[in-house]
Amino acid sequence: MKRKKNIKKKGSSFSKLSLFQKSGAKFFKPCPFSEKNAPVIDYKNIKLLKKYLSDSGRILPSRITSVSQKKQRELSQAIKRARLISLI
Amino acid sequence: MNCYEHVFITKGDLSERQSQKVLEKYSDIINSNSGKMIKTEKWGLRNFTYKINNLRKGFYFHLKFEGVAKTIKELERTENIDETLIRFLTVKVKKHDLETNYFDNKKEIDKK
Repeated sequence: MKRKKNIKKKGSSFSKLSLFQKSGAKFFKPCPFSEKNAPVIDYKNIKLLKKYLSDSGRILPSRITSVSQKKQRELSQAIKRARLISLI
Repeated sequence: MNCYEHVFITKGDLSERQSQKVLEKYSDIINSNSGKMIKTEKWGLRNFTYKINNLRKGFYFHLKFEGVAKTIKELERTENIDETLIRFLTVKVKKHDLETNYFDNKKEIDKK
């Protein structure tokens, strides 16, 4: 419950929230990169990386996207690489 | 030998012949410094998401090669001198992925 409250408060600044968590649905969600046939995190795959950015281009916290710690590190590395060569 | 991926951006739009020349120049540097060229890709003219040196567009090249530390050092040294180059990025990878090309406009690859 505590967690839910937190997210609700910040809901306005993370408009993509609804993409990842539906209200009333089950709370726990597995990491999208740890399943079978999961997409590979790559700095060239702009389509994938854009899913994990807010509208203003900031990296979304894993608490919202439910990406695992290890994959979140990979993801942020990939996003920063893509930013350097101005892809996103 | 390590596997590397390399991206570099040059100024302005290049014709087919000019871009081939640029590619040849840098593949020569890799091949002559105990490296081995594996694949080259041209991503073409792309719009930047933010301005770099007051420019809005750039021509993207992508190289996949094997090499040692000396190869990278020499490659990046010449790139620093080259004035037509805007930016470059070298990434070390465990294994080359030769199948997917995310910037091929002709056939759109739907990767989840």
